[in-house]
Amino acid sequence: MKQRQGLIALAFLTPALVCLAVLRIVPAISAVVESFYTESLLRGGRVFTGLSNYTDLLGSKDFRQSVGVTLLFTVLVNPIQVVVSFLLAVLFTQKAAGSKLWRTLVILPIATPPAVSAVIWSVIYRPDGLGNGVLGRLGLPAQPFLTSPNQVLPSLIVLLSWIGVGYWMLFLIAGIQEVPVEVREAALLDGAGPWRRMISVILPLVRRPLAFVLVADTVSNLLVFAPVQILTKGGPNGNSNLLMYDVYNRAYAIGDIHVAQAEVVILVALTLAIVAGQFRLLRGDQ
Amino acid sequence: MSLSVLGGVVGILFFLPLLWVVTNSLRPGSETFAHLNPLSWQTFFELRPTLTNYSALLGSEIGRATLNSILVSALTVAIGLAVCATAAFGLAAFEFRGRGLVFGIVVLSFLVPFDAIAIPLSTMFRDWHLTNTFTGLVLPGIGNGMAIFLLRQFFLGVPAELVEAGRLDGLGWFGVFRWIYLPLSKPALIGAGLMLFLFQWQAYVWPLLIGTDAKHILGPVALSNLQGQNFADYGLVFAGAVVLTVIPLVVIAGFQRYFVQSVSSTGLK
Repeated sequence: MKQRQGLIALAFLTPALVCLAVLRIVPAISAVVESFYTESLLRGGRVFTGLSNYTDLLGSKDFRQSVGVTLLFTVLVNPIQVVVSFLLAVLFTQKAAGSKLWRTLVILPIATPPAVSAVIWSVIYRPDGLGNGVLGRLGLPAQPFLTSPNQVLPSLIVLLSWIGVGYWMLFLIAGIQEVPVEVREAALLDGAGPWRRMISVILPLVRRPLAFVLVADTVSNLLVFAPVQILTKGGPNGNSNLLMYDVYNRAYAIGDIHVAQAEVVILVALTLAIVAGQFRLLRGDQ
Repeated sequence: MSLSVLGGVVGILFFLPLLWVVTNSLRPGSETFAHLNPLSWQTFFELRPTLTNYSALLGSEIGRATLNSILVSALTVAIGLAVCATAAFGLAAFEFRGRGLVFGIVVLSFLVPFDAIAIPLSTMFRDWHLTNTFTGLVLPGIGNGMAIFLLRQFFLGVPAELVEAGRLDGLGWFGVFRWIYLPLSKPALIGAGLMLFLFQWQAYVWPLLIGTDAKHILGPVALSNLQGQNFADYGLVFAGAVVLTVIPLVVIAGFQRYFVQSVSSTGLK
């Protein structure tokens, strides 16, 4: 009986399993395998070269800069986005006039595809664009934004937060709303101030969604591509050359597909290491 | 009171870029930078709106690319839901050896971020001559592990008695799936459908790698191509941005309840 059930289940599962295997798992494995090969003109075809693609990468100054920029970006963007979405989630779950409408305005950019957002912000960041218009109105001097080595990462962070914060906020709002109203009201009656209530009542109770947001946000930020490709092309001087863009550039502009595969493997390994570290940290303070 | 002021300021700050885009889509491209120095109320409002940018969109590459995006997303949702729902049924309704393993593969497949494997996958698609085909654009969207996972969670809640009754009435297993599981699971199906839709609609890396000729280019890629030109018509750029944002917005707004459900259940359960 069980075996028959198994066959029927397999029939239902086959199309999806084929898709997942061919479209997700095989390319992941193929990236690892191909990263150990290189194209040889002399011998006509691909040749096993062991770790030489990896040692080539590690020996390249541009690659090391790209890793450095990616790590710096990760350390900046994730805490900013998680803290901002948490604060906004708390703000928009308070009883206040117009809260629903303001919340909707924050969520609205979710609908804009990331590449479209990047195009919009490429106009905002122009020297004569909206960004400097707003600064001018506030009496501040005009800024170069994307063409300045120091401002390019912060500019990308602002753009990515505009895209992403509303999305992450949704998870945290859902988490806060699962906190029983009695708990929140009890804290209010005990005379806890808003700051105190946020830190000692709400924060511990949304640990799980908060942990999810931190991990998912980190993964998505490590794979940021469209804004770099559309706005900065990694520049100026490689200061926004995030790994995902570097991989793309290596594969299609430089045409070195095997080294690009090695770089994909490094990017995924880096992502796993950072996520594993976050899990340890989160478990550590329980 | 102060909380709603703070909320209002934050909300308006987030909304300003979109408002600016909409306003500029309603004025000629030559005036895009006219009201920025100094900033005035006219930066964000247009008293004599014109739809010329939108009519220009119709015959342009972006217009065609938007239609392509609609086609690709619709195909992805239709085929993807069929594939994912049958798989979820296979996982939820049967007891068999290796179920844990299969479920593990599903979970693993959505833990591997798609963009990370897009480049190795695109080399495979090149070998299979799937570049610049709709098949090549649609395929990666249909096997969505997260959608299978969500649907399975929902299907597990279908009462066993109902299935038994259906079997006694002579329904085959496909009949049980079609006439018992699917009708009971509309909210989950809509949630999974939204997930498949947004995955495709927002995709950029994959369409950039796979669909670059005029026939198969998708909306976001076409828009970024236009922006990259030296003498871009910003009126057209902004009108394209509005269209590419409004379409998913309408879909999300129409299924708002299910959208929030599908988002929050991925994070919490």
